[in-house]
Amino acid sequence: MTVGGLGYYVRLLGVSIRTSLITSMQYRVDFVIQGVMSLLWTALAIFPLLVLYGDRTSVAGWDFGSALVVMGLFTIMRGVLEGAINPSLLAVVERIRSGSFDYTLLKPADAQFLVSTTRFDPWHVTDLLAGIGIIVYAFVEMGRAPGAGELAAALALVAAAVAVMYSLWILIVASAFWVVRMDNLSFLLGAVFDAARWPIHVFRGTWRFVFTFIIPLALMTSFPAMALLGTLSLRTALLSLAGSAAFFMVSRTVWTLAIRSYTSASS
Amino acid sequence: MIQVRDLKKHFKVHKRPPGLAAALRSVVHRTYTTVKAVDGVSFTIERGERVGFLGPTGAGKTTTLKVLSGLLHPTAGEVSVAEHRPQKRAAAFLRQITLVMGQKQQLIWDLPPAETWSLNRAVFGVAPAEFDRTLAELTELLDLKELSQKPTRQLSLGERMKCELAAALLHKPTTLFLDEPTIGLDVAMQVTIREFIREYNQRHDATVMLTSHYMDDVVALCPRVIVIDGGRLIHDGDLRALVKSMMPDKRVSFAGAMAADVIERLGRLVTQDSARTTIEVPEDRLREVIGHLLAGEGIGDLAIEDPPLEDVMRKLFKSKTADAS
Repeated sequence: MTVGGLGYYVRLLGVSIRTSLITSMQYRVDFVIQGVMSLLWTALAIFPLLVLYGDRTSVAGWDFGSALVVMGLFTIMRGVLEGAINPSLLAVVERIRSGSFDYTLLKPADAQFLVSTTRFDPWHVTDLLAGIGIIVYAFVEMGRAPGAGELAAALALVAAAVAVMYSLWILIVASAFWVVRMDNLSFLLGAVFDAARWPIHVFRGTWRFVFTFIIPLALMTSFPAMALLGTLSLRTALLSLAGSAAFFMVSRTVWTLAIRSYTSASS
Repeated sequence: MIQVRDLKKHFKVHKRPPGLAAALRSVVHRTYTTVKAVDGVSFTIERGERVGFLGPTGAGKTTTLKVLSGLLHPTAGEVSVAEHRPQKRAAAFLRQITLVMGQKQQLIWDLPPAETWSLNRAVFGVAPAEFDRTLAELTELLDLKELSQKPTRQLSLGERMKCELAAALLHKPTTLFLDEPTIGLDVAMQVTIREFIREYNQRHDATVMLTSHYMDDVVALCPRVIVIDGGRLIHDGDLRALVKSMMPDKRVSFAGAMAADVIERLGRLVTQDSARTTIEVPEDRLREVIGHLLAGEGIGDLAIEDPPLEDVMRKLFKSKTADAS
């Protein structure tokens, strides 16, 4: 077997997911708790929407059904964040602190790949299901269905959204090499991410600018939702894809610099 | 083969004076000092050698091992391990080496060691048949059969170390860097690990570089020792020659009582209690002293030994510090 190449990394990902599954099976109660939590959070998330749309039909140009689609995408993205991204983040920061991160650097595989696939929390698949459920319900409520083109565009934008979220997370892990303690940073990202449950047009002025270009929350939920609803311009869609690719490259560069600083400075 | 030429590794560290006021000041204005962890060390280790790497705490042992395994970039100097430059961390290089750190672990805490092993199999790209063969060999040598399916968190420290060694060796590295592999283990387990390291070294003609606070490990395993102190090399060579040059006298111990003035005539008194007396005797007087002791009334259980390596090291470090000042 060769080391390196796409096949090698696909195999590694498989082994890593398998290991995570075995770990999760040891804590079956988690599955039940996770399922209940997922339903609870979803219900809690929809509640303010119900209040908001109780006596009006449109908020910042978004009707109830469209806002619900954003909420569905938010639930999906939260599932990705907490199921596939955060567990590895916490594991890696712990490793950096305890020094066993050295073992990661001794492996003949890309360190960023190893770090990113350290741990998955498969029970968060309930979030994905809840999110899809909300979106389906929203379209039923609106009395229509998205077309194939809209669906494809939405999927592409969801992929871009995951790339952006992952890149943000890699930037945080990279910062851990310098500051070691970065719990606050990850909490901050979690808190900021919460704003992605609202359509981007709800925010005005500075905040809309920040959430579109600096911490691109718009790219994570609103744009995929608009693609699904058929209201996203082609220009915005293409810019989003290009932007997420650029974000990914930046995070990769910062990561490489961080590893170099780690290997040249730590004791 | 390991080649190190004039290796230097300096760290810039933030100097933190004690006290709250000073801590507050340091938030705004930081003063840095350069710590010379390794400061011009050179040596060559041939394939298949077992070398003890010794020095007091903070001498630069771990830093050197980290540079040799590619975890740290050298500040200056040339390093070559298995014909690679470690700091490039090439996959071909990493597949040939291993670093075992007695104080750190790579086994997944919640899962049996077998899961970490199969994860490492995938990462190192070991073919399944090859993996099974190596695992069978390690299982036999380290007696892992009962351990591989127990969750790591339920293993004792010694059992965990055996499984850590297996995890570190499944890709059959030819260069082993072992940093305190026996730390915290009981004597029986230390012996097991020691025997295993020797066996691995002989079966695979592997190069072994070992640090340990237990001098018994070094005496049992390493014909050659490299000693560093304050980031500088202070000895490189045969272990027995080092002992002989630092402490040429033999230690003779025996059970039974003997008058103080008689002891004084035989050699230098090291320890004495009601049961046992230990004296130091120059090698050329050994025959005469032993003869005298054997002829003595009520003297028994005679033993002749080299002075313990701990004492040799203490004397070595003390003399070098005296040289420096």
